[in-house]
Amino acid sequence: MAKKVVGLVKLAITAGKATPAPPVGPALGQHGVNIMAFCKEYNERTKDQAGLIIPVEISVYEDRSFTFITKTPPASVLLKKAANINSGSSEPNRKKVAKVNRGKVREIAELKMKDLNAASVEAAMRMVEGTARSMGIEISD
Amino acid sequence: MDWHEVAVTVSSQGEEAVADLFYQLGCPGVSIEDPELLQSYVESGVWDYHDFGEVALTGQSVVTGYFAEGKDLPAKLSQLEAGLQKLLERFPEWVLQVKGATVKEEDWATAWKTYFKPIHVGQFLIKPTWEEANPVDGDVVLELDPGMAFGTGTHATTTLCLHALAERVQPGIEVFDLGTGSGILAIAAAKLGARVKAVDLDPVAVRVAQENVEVNRVSDVVEILQGDLGTVLHGRADLVVANIIADVILALLSDLPRLLRPKGVFLASGIIENRAVDVEEGLIQAGFKILERREDSGWILLMARWDSIAPI
Repeated sequence: MAKKVVGLVKLAITAGKATPAPPVGPALGQHGVNIMAFCKEYNERTKDQAGLIIPVEISVYEDRSFTFITKTPPASVLLKKAANINSGSSEPNRKKVAKVNRGKVREIAELKMKDLNAASVEAAMRMVEGTARSMGIEISD
Repeated sequence: MDWHEVAVTVSSQGEEAVADLFYQLGCPGVSIEDPELLQSYVESGVWDYHDFGEVALTGQSVVTGYFAEGKDLPAKLSQLEAGLQKLLERFPEWVLQVKGATVKEEDWATAWKTYFKPIHVGQFLIKPTWEEANPVDGDVVLELDPGMAFGTGTHATTTLCLHALAERVQPGIEVFDLGTGSGILAIAAAKLGARVKAVDLDPVAVRVAQENVEVNRVSDVVEILQGDLGTVLHGRADLVVANIIADVILALLSDLPRLLRPKGVFLASGIIENRAVDVEEGLIQAGFKILERREDSGWILLMARWDSIAPI
Protein backbone atom coordinates (compact mmCIF):
# COMPACT_ATOMS: atom_id res chain seq x y z
CA MET A 1 0.00 0.00 0.00
CA ALA A 2 1.33 3.43 -0.89
CA LYS A 3 2.22 5.40 2.21
CA LYS A 4 2.20 9.16 2.56
CA VAL A 5 5.28 10.80 4.04
CA VAL A 6 4.52 13.60 6.51
CA GLY A 7 7.96 14.33 7.92
CA LEU A 8 11.68 14.12 7.26
CA VAL A 9 14.03 14.31 10.23
CA LYS A 10 17.80 14.44 10.02
CA LEU A 11 19.83 13.75 13.12
CA ALA A 12 23.57 13.48 13.63
CA ILE A 13 23.91 11.28 16.69
CA THR A 14 26.34 8.86 18.29
CA ALA A 15 26.18 5.39 16.80
CA GLY A 16 24.82 2.73 19.13
CA LYS A 17 23.91 5.30 21.80
CA ALA A 18 20.62 6.91 20.80
CA THR A 19 18.42 7.67 23.82
CA PRO A 20 15.02 9.36 24.12
CA ALA A 21 16.81 12.51 25.38
CA PRO A 22 17.40 15.42 22.99
CA PRO A 23 18.05 15.69 20.13
CA VAL A 24 16.23 12.41 19.35
CA GLY A 25 13.20 12.99 21.59
CA PRO A 26 12.11 16.47 20.47
CA ALA A 27 12.91 15.82 16.79
CA LEU A 28 10.88 12.62 16.59
CA GLY A 29 8.32 13.39 19.26
CA GLN A 30 6.94 16.36 17.32
CA HIS A 31 6.26 14.02 14.41
CA GLY A 32 4.53 11.46 16.61
CA VAL A 33 7.17 8.76 16.16
CA ASN A 34 7.58 6.20 18.93
CA ILE A 35 10.96 7.34 20.20
CA MET A 36 11.97 4.09 21.92
CA ALA A 37 11.28 2.07 18.79
CA PHE A 38 13.58 4.34 16.80
CA CYS A 39 16.35 4.22 19.42
CA LYS A 40 16.29 0.44 19.54
CA GLU A 41 16.50 0.12 15.78
CA TYR A 42 19.16 2.82 15.26
CA ASN A 43 21.37 1.46 18.02
CA GLU A 44 21.18 -2.05 16.66
CA ARG A 45 21.95 -0.98 13.11
CA THR A 46 24.90 1.27 14.04
CA LYS A 47 26.37 -0.85 16.82
CA ASP A 48 29.47 -1.71 14.79
CA GLN A 49 30.40 1.96 14.51
CA ALA A 50 29.75 2.78 18.16
CA GLY A 51 31.29 6.07 19.25
CA LEU A 52 31.27 7.72 15.81
CA ILE A 53 28.66 10.31 14.90
CA ILE A 54 26.46 8.65 12.30
CA PRO A 55 23.88 10.91 10.64
CA VAL A 56 20.48 9.39 10.07
CA GLU A 57 17.60 10.51 7.85
CA ILE A 58 14.20 9.41 9.04
CA SER A 59 11.10 9.41 6.86
CA VAL A 60 7.92 9.61 8.93
CA TYR A 61 4.70 8.26 7.42
CA GLU A 62 1.11 9.28 8.00
CA ASP A 63 0.48 6.34 10.34
CA ARG A 64 3.61 7.49 12.29
CA SER A 65 5.60 4.46 11.24
CA PHE A 66 9.10 5.33 10.04
CA THR A 67 12.00 4.17 7.93
CA PHE A 68 15.53 5.51 8.05
CA ILE A 69 18.86 5.44 6.30
CA THR A 70 22.22 6.09 7.91
CA LYS A 71 24.95 8.15 6.27
CA THR A 72 28.72 8.42 6.50
CA PRO A 73 30.12 10.21 9.57
CA PRO A 74 30.64 14.02 9.25
CA ALA A 75 33.94 15.20 7.75
CA SER A 76 34.86 16.83 11.07
CA VAL A 77 34.55 13.50 12.86
CA LEU A 78 36.60 11.70 10.20
CA LEU A 79 39.22 14.47 10.25
CA LYS A 80 39.59 14.24 14.02
CA LYS A 81 40.00 10.50 13.68
CA ALA A 82 42.58 10.92 10.90
CA ALA A 83 44.50 13.53 12.90
CA ASN A 84 44.11 11.52 16.09
CA ILE A 85 42.76 14.45 18.12
CA ASN A 86 39.69 14.79 20.32
CA SER A 87 38.73 18.33 19.45
CA GLY A 88 39.55 21.04 16.98
CA SER A 89 41.45 24.22 17.76
CA SER A 90 39.84 26.92 19.88
CA GLU A 91 41.54 29.46 17.62
CA PRO A 92 41.67 27.84 14.20
CA ASN A 93 43.26 30.91 12.56
CA ARG A 94 46.22 31.14 14.84
CA LYS A 95 46.57 27.83 16.61
CA LYS A 96 46.86 24.72 14.44
CA VAL A 97 46.28 21.54 16.39
CA ALA A 98 47.16 18.88 13.84
CA LYS A 99 48.16 18.11 10.28
CA VAL A 100 46.40 15.89 7.81
CA ASN A 101 47.89 15.17 4.40
CA ARG A 102 46.10 15.68 1.13
CA GLY A 103 45.93 11.93 0.50
CA LYS A 104 43.89 11.51 3.68
CA VAL A 105 41.65 14.43 2.67
CA ARG A 106 41.03 12.69 -0.64
CA GLU A 107 40.17 9.44 1.18
CA ILE A 108 37.65 11.26 3.37
CA ALA A 109 36.24 13.11 0.36
CA GLU A 110 35.84 9.85 -1.56
CA LEU A 111 34.14 8.16 1.40
CA LYS A 112 31.78 11.11 1.82
CA MET A 113 31.27 11.71 -1.87
CA LYS A 114 27.94 9.87 -1.94
CA ASP A 115 26.57 12.04 0.85
CA LEU A 116 28.03 15.40 -0.16
CA ASN A 117 26.45 17.76 -2.56
CA ALA A 118 29.66 17.89 -4.64
CA ALA A 119 30.09 17.59 -8.38
CA SER A 120 33.54 16.00 -8.24
CA VAL A 121 36.01 14.51 -5.77
CA GLU A 122 38.00 17.74 -6.04
CA ALA A 123 34.93 19.75 -5.02
CA ALA A 124 34.30 17.33 -2.14
CA MET A 125 37.97 17.73 -1.13
CA ARG A 126 37.53 21.49 -0.99
CA MET A 127 34.56 21.05 1.36
CA VAL A 128 36.59 18.71 3.59
CA GLU A 129 39.51 21.16 3.53
CA GLY A 130 37.15 23.96 4.56
CA THR A 131 36.00 21.90 7.52
CA ALA A 132 39.65 21.11 8.39
CA ARG A 133 40.60 24.78 8.36
CA SER A 134 37.67 25.68 10.58
CA MET A 135 38.97 23.16 13.10
CA GLY A 136 42.58 24.33 13.03
CA ILE A 137 43.79 21.28 11.13
CA GLU A 138 46.51 22.08 8.63
CA ILE A 139 46.54 20.35 5.26
CA SER A 140 49.98 19.14 4.18
CA ASP A 141 51.04 17.76 0.80
CA MET B 1 13.67 17.70 33.00
CA ASP B 2 13.98 20.92 31.01
CA TRP B 3 16.37 21.50 28.16
CA HIS B 4 17.80 24.60 26.54
CA GLU B 5 17.48 24.43 22.80
CA VAL B 6 19.88 26.38 20.59
CA ALA B 7 19.00 26.62 16.91
CA VAL B 8 21.72 27.98 14.65
CA THR B 9 20.87 28.97 11.09
CA VAL B 10 23.88 28.24 8.92
CA SER B 11 24.88 28.20 5.28
CA SER B 12 25.32 24.69 3.86
CA GLN B 13 29.11 24.86 4.28
CA GLY B 14 28.79 25.79 7.93
CA GLU B 15 26.59 22.84 8.92
CA GLU B 16 29.29 20.41 10.03
CA ALA B 17 31.48 22.98 11.73
CA VAL B 18 28.57 24.22 13.84
CA ALA B 19 27.43 20.69 14.61
CA ASP B 20 30.98 19.97 15.73
CA LEU B 21 30.86 22.85 18.22
CA PHE B 22 27.84 21.19 19.84
CA TYR B 23 29.61 17.81 20.02
CA GLN B 24 32.64 19.44 21.63
CA LEU B 25 30.40 20.88 24.33
CA GLY B 26 29.13 17.42 25.18
CA CYS B 27 25.93 17.26 23.10
CA PRO B 28 25.31 13.66 22.06
CA GLY B 29 24.09 14.91 18.71
CA VAL B 30 22.17 17.55 16.80
CA SER B 31 19.11 17.69 14.61
CA ILE B 32 19.37 19.34 11.21
CA GLU B 33 16.66 20.92 9.09
CA ASP B 34 17.91 21.07 5.55
CA PRO B 35 15.59 22.10 2.68
CA GLU B 36 18.07 20.75 0.11
CA LEU B 37 17.91 17.33 1.70
CA LEU B 38 14.12 17.48 1.63
CA GLN B 39 14.18 18.44 -2.01
CA SER B 40 16.56 15.60 -2.85
CA TYR B 41 14.07 13.15 -1.29
CA VAL B 42 11.15 14.74 -3.12
CA GLU B 43 12.99 14.54 -6.44
CA SER B 44 14.44 11.06 -5.96
CA GLY B 45 11.02 9.41 -6.03
CA VAL B 46 11.80 7.11 -3.08
CA TRP B 47 8.60 8.22 -1.36
CA ASP B 48 5.21 7.07 -2.67
CA TYR B 49 3.74 10.49 -1.98
CA HIS B 50 4.07 13.29 0.53
CA ASP B 51 2.56 16.57 1.64
CA PHE B 52 5.53 18.92 1.44
CA GLY B 53 4.38 20.88 -1.59
CA GLU B 54 7.10 22.98 -3.18
CA VAL B 55 10.35 23.13 -1.23
CA ALA B 56 11.86 26.60 -0.88
CA LEU B 57 15.62 26.37 -1.35
CA THR B 58 17.51 28.94 0.67
CA GLY B 59 21.01 27.46 0.78
CA GLN B 60 20.60 27.50 4.54
CA SER B 61 19.92 24.88 7.15
CA VAL B 62 19.22 24.95 10.86
CA VAL B 63 21.42 22.99 13.26
CA THR B 64 19.79 22.45 16.66
CA GLY B 65 21.52 21.22 19.79
CA TYR B 66 20.31 20.84 23.37
CA PHE B 67 21.86 21.43 26.77
CA ALA B 68 20.37 20.26 30.04
CA GLU B 69 19.12 23.18 32.18
CA GLY B 70 21.26 23.51 35.28
CA LYS B 71 24.28 25.19 36.75
CA ASP B 72 26.58 24.30 33.82
CA LEU B 73 24.25 25.88 31.27
CA PRO B 74 25.57 29.50 31.33
CA ALA B 75 29.16 28.27 30.89
CA LYS B 76 28.18 25.99 28.00
CA LEU B 77 26.25 28.75 26.28
CA SER B 78 29.10 31.21 26.55
CA GLN B 79 31.51 28.58 25.20
CA LEU B 80 29.15 27.98 22.30
CA GLU B 81 28.88 31.70 21.67
CA ALA B 82 32.66 32.05 21.68
CA GLY B 83 33.00 29.12 19.28
CA LEU B 84 30.44 30.59 16.90
CA GLN B 85 32.16 33.97 17.11
CA LYS B 86 35.50 32.46 16.13
CA LEU B 87 33.88 30.63 13.28
CA LEU B 88 32.26 33.85 12.11
CA GLU B 89 35.55 35.72 12.15
CA ARG B 90 36.98 33.22 9.71
CA PHE B 91 33.89 32.37 7.68
CA PRO B 92 31.49 35.31 8.00
CA GLU B 93 28.92 33.71 5.70
CA TRP B 94 28.66 30.43 7.63
CA VAL B 95 26.60 31.43 10.67
CA LEU B 96 23.49 33.50 10.10
CA GLN B 97 21.28 33.42 13.15
CA VAL B 98 21.23 31.95 16.65
CA LYS B 99 18.04 31.36 18.65
CA GLY B 100 17.62 29.90 22.10
CA ALA B 101 14.55 28.51 23.86
CA THR B 102 13.62 26.29 26.76
CA VAL B 103 11.83 23.02 25.98
CA LYS B 104 10.09 20.73 28.44
CA GLU B 105 10.43 16.99 28.25
CA GLU B 106 6.67 16.50 28.59
CA ASP B 107 6.17 18.57 25.44
CA TRP B 108 7.66 15.87 23.26
CA ALA B 109 7.98 12.69 25.33
CA THR B 110 4.34 11.77 24.94
CA ALA B 111 3.54 13.42 21.60
CA TRP B 112 3.48 10.04 19.83
CA LYS B 113 0.56 8.94 22.02
CA THR B 114 -1.78 10.99 19.87
CA TYR B 115 -1.09 8.58 17.03
CA PHE B 116 -1.14 5.32 19.01
CA LYS B 117 -4.57 3.86 18.26
CA PRO B 118 -6.18 0.49 19.01
CA ILE B 119 -4.76 -2.13 16.67
CA HIS B 120 -5.36 -5.81 16.01
CA VAL B 121 -2.37 -8.15 15.98
CA GLY B 122 -3.75 -11.61 15.26
CA GLN B 123 -6.26 -12.36 17.98
CA PHE B 124 -4.97 -9.57 20.21
CA LEU B 125 -6.57 -6.16 20.31
CA ILE B 126 -3.96 -3.74 21.62
CA LYS B 127 -5.71 -0.81 23.18
CA PRO B 128 -3.90 2.27 24.50
CA THR B 129 -5.26 2.91 28.00
CA TRP B 130 -6.45 6.38 26.96
CA GLU B 131 -8.40 5.16 23.91
CA GLU B 132 -11.83 3.59 23.54
CA ALA B 133 -12.16 0.30 21.65
CA ASN B 134 -14.95 -2.14 20.90
CA PRO B 135 -13.64 -5.69 21.10
CA VAL B 136 -15.50 -8.38 19.21
CA ASP B 137 -15.87 -12.05 20.19
CA GLY B 138 -12.51 -13.78 20.36
CA ASP B 139 -10.49 -10.62 20.80
CA VAL B 140 -7.92 -10.81 23.56
CA VAL B 141 -7.64 -7.23 24.77
CA LEU B 142 -4.25 -5.92 25.89
CA GLU B 143 -4.50 -2.50 27.52
CA LEU B 144 -1.28 -0.62 27.32
CA ASP B 145 0.48 2.58 28.30
CA PRO B 146 4.10 1.98 27.31
CA GLY B 147 5.35 5.29 28.75
CA MET B 148 9.03 5.45 27.93
CA ALA B 149 9.42 1.65 27.86
CA PHE B 150 9.71 -0.31 24.63
CA GLY B 151 6.72 -2.24 23.35
CA THR B 152 3.58 -0.68 21.91
CA GLY B 153 2.81 -3.83 20.02
CA THR B 154 3.18 -2.10 16.69
CA HIS B 155 6.88 -2.80 16.14
CA ALA B 156 7.68 -5.85 14.01
CA THR B 157 9.79 -7.44 16.74
CA THR B 158 6.78 -7.37 19.09
CA THR B 159 4.14 -8.49 16.58
CA LEU B 160 6.32 -11.49 15.64
CA CYS B 161 6.34 -12.47 19.32
CA LEU B 162 2.59 -11.93 19.78
CA HIS B 163 1.79 -14.25 16.86
CA ALA B 164 4.22 -16.88 18.14
CA LEU B 165 2.80 -16.65 21.69
CA ALA B 166 -0.74 -17.08 20.35
CA GLU B 167 0.35 -20.35 18.71
CA ARG B 168 2.51 -21.70 21.50
CA VAL B 169 0.92 -20.72 24.82
CA GLN B 170 -1.44 -23.29 26.35
CA PRO B 171 -3.43 -22.57 29.51
CA GLY B 172 -1.49 -23.44 32.63
CA ILE B 173 2.03 -23.36 31.20
CA GLU B 174 4.76 -21.27 32.72
CA VAL B 175 6.35 -18.47 30.68
CA PHE B 176 9.44 -16.32 31.31
CA ASP B 177 9.58 -12.97 29.52
CA LEU B 178 13.14 -11.66 29.44
CA GLY B 179 13.50 -7.90 28.82
CA THR B 180 9.82 -7.25 29.31
CA GLY B 181 9.81 -3.48 28.53
CA SER B 182 6.20 -2.32 28.68
CA GLY B 183 5.17 -5.84 29.77
CA ILE B 184 3.11 -6.42 26.63
CA LEU B 185 4.34 -9.97 25.98
CA ALA B 186 3.98 -11.01 29.61
CA ILE B 187 0.41 -9.73 29.65
CA ALA B 188 -0.39 -11.41 26.32
CA ALA B 189 0.90 -14.76 27.63
CA ALA B 190 -1.09 -14.30 30.85
CA LYS B 191 -4.29 -13.56 28.93
CA LEU B 192 -3.75 -16.80 27.03
CA GLY B 193 -3.71 -18.65 30.35
CA ALA B 194 -0.03 -18.81 31.25
CA ARG B 195 1.64 -18.03 34.55
CA VAL B 196 4.38 -15.51 33.83
CA LYS B 197 7.57 -14.16 35.34
CA ALA B 198 8.87 -11.12 33.52
CA VAL B 199 12.25 -9.47 34.05
CA ASP B 200 13.85 -6.21 33.06
CA LEU B 201 17.05 -4.46 34.07
CA ASP B 202 15.55 -1.03 33.56
CA PRO B 203 13.63 0.28 36.60
CA VAL B 204 11.49 2.49 34.32
CA ALA B 205 10.38 -0.56 32.35
CA VAL B 206 9.64 -2.49 35.55
CA ARG B 207 7.42 0.29 36.85
CA VAL B 208 5.61 0.66 33.52
CA ALA B 209 5.20 -3.11 33.16
CA GLN B 210 3.79 -3.39 36.69
CA GLU B 211 1.25 -0.65 35.96
CA ASN B 212 0.21 -2.38 32.75
CA VAL B 213 -0.14 -5.71 34.54
CA GLU B 214 -2.48 -4.06 37.03
CA VAL B 215 -4.55 -2.31 34.34
CA ASN B 216 -5.00 -5.68 32.64
CA ARG B 217 -5.94 -7.36 35.96
CA VAL B 218 -3.39 -10.14 35.60
CA SER B 219 -1.34 -9.39 38.74
CA ASP B 220 -2.32 -12.78 40.18
CA VAL B 221 -0.50 -14.62 37.38
CA VAL B 222 2.25 -12.18 36.32
CA GLU B 223 5.24 -11.39 38.45
CA ILE B 224 7.46 -8.49 37.32
CA LEU B 225 11.04 -8.63 38.56
CA GLN B 226 13.82 -6.10 38.29
CA GLY B 227 17.41 -7.10 37.83
CA ASP B 228 19.80 -9.45 36.16
CA LEU B 229 18.51 -12.82 34.96
CA GLY B 230 21.09 -14.74 36.93
CA THR B 231 20.03 -13.32 40.27
CA VAL B 232 16.30 -12.69 40.12
CA LEU B 233 14.86 -15.54 38.08
CA HIS B 234 14.50 -18.99 39.59
CA GLY B 235 12.82 -22.16 38.42
CA ARG B 236 12.16 -23.30 34.88
CA ALA B 237 9.55 -22.34 32.32
CA ASP B 238 7.82 -24.16 29.48
CA LEU B 239 8.36 -21.18 27.21
CA VAL B 240 10.94 -18.40 27.33
CA VAL B 241 10.48 -15.30 25.20
CA ALA B 242 13.20 -12.67 24.75
CA ASN B 243 12.46 -9.69 22.54
CA ILE B 244 15.71 -7.84 23.05
CA ILE B 245 18.63 -7.62 20.57
CA ALA B 246 21.00 -10.15 19.03
CA ASP B 247 23.92 -9.62 21.40
CA VAL B 248 21.84 -9.79 24.55
CA ILE B 249 20.15 -12.96 23.31
CA LEU B 250 23.55 -14.52 22.62
CA ALA B 251 24.69 -13.54 26.10
CA LEU B 252 21.71 -15.13 27.81
CA LEU B 253 21.96 -18.49 26.01
CA SER B 254 24.19 -19.84 28.77
CA ASP B 255 21.41 -19.18 31.32
CA LEU B 256 18.77 -21.07 29.38
CA PRO B 257 19.55 -24.62 30.63
CA ARG B 258 18.45 -23.57 34.11
CA LEU B 259 15.51 -21.47 32.86
CA LEU B 260 13.89 -23.63 30.18
CA ARG B 261 12.40 -27.08 30.71
CA PRO B 262 13.63 -29.98 28.55
CA LYS B 263 10.66 -29.80 26.23
CA GLY B 264 10.42 -26.06 26.39
CA VAL B 265 10.35 -23.58 23.55
CA PHE B 266 12.52 -20.49 23.23
CA LEU B 267 11.31 -17.49 21.24
CA ALA B 268 14.19 -15.18 20.35
CA SER B 269 13.17 -11.88 18.81
CA GLY B 270 14.56 -8.37 18.24
CA ILE B 271 17.19 -9.86 15.95
CA ILE B 272 18.13 -7.64 13.04
CA GLU B 273 18.34 -9.56 9.78
CA ASN B 274 22.11 -9.46 9.35
CA ARG B 275 22.69 -10.85 12.86
CA ALA B 276 20.26 -13.75 12.53
CA VAL B 277 22.97 -16.15 11.39
CA ASP B 278 25.02 -15.43 14.53
CA VAL B 279 22.04 -16.12 16.76
CA GLU B 280 21.13 -19.28 14.84
CA GLU B 281 24.69 -20.57 15.25
CA GLY B 282 24.67 -19.60 18.92
CA LEU B 283 21.41 -21.44 19.48
CA ILE B 284 22.66 -24.59 17.77
CA GLN B 285 25.89 -24.51 19.74
CA ALA B 286 23.90 -24.07 22.94
CA GLY B 287 22.02 -27.30 22.14
CA PHE B 288 18.92 -25.97 20.41
CA LYS B 289 17.16 -27.10 17.30
CA ILE B 290 15.67 -24.25 15.29
CA LEU B 291 12.00 -24.96 14.61
CA GLU B 292 11.20 -21.86 12.63
CA ARG B 293 12.61 -18.57 11.41
CA ARG B 294 10.17 -15.74 10.77
CA GLU B 295 10.84 -12.35 9.26
CA ASP B 296 9.01 -9.04 9.32
CA SER B 297 10.40 -5.70 8.08
CA GLY B 298 14.02 -6.78 8.43
CA TRP B 299 13.57 -8.29 11.90
CA ILE B 300 13.84 -11.99 12.68
CA LEU B 301 12.16 -14.22 15.25
CA LEU B 302 13.70 -17.61 15.88
CA MET B 303 11.64 -20.36 17.47
CA ALA B 304 13.83 -23.05 19.02
CA ARG B 305 13.58 -26.18 21.14
CA TRP B 306 16.26 -28.18 22.94
CA ASP B 307 17.70 -30.73 20.55
CA SER B 308 17.44 -34.47 21.36
CA ILE B 309 19.40 -34.41 24.60
CA ALA B 310 17.82 -32.19 27.16
CA PRO B 311 20.34 -30.29 29.27
CA ILE B 312 20.30 -30.88 32.99
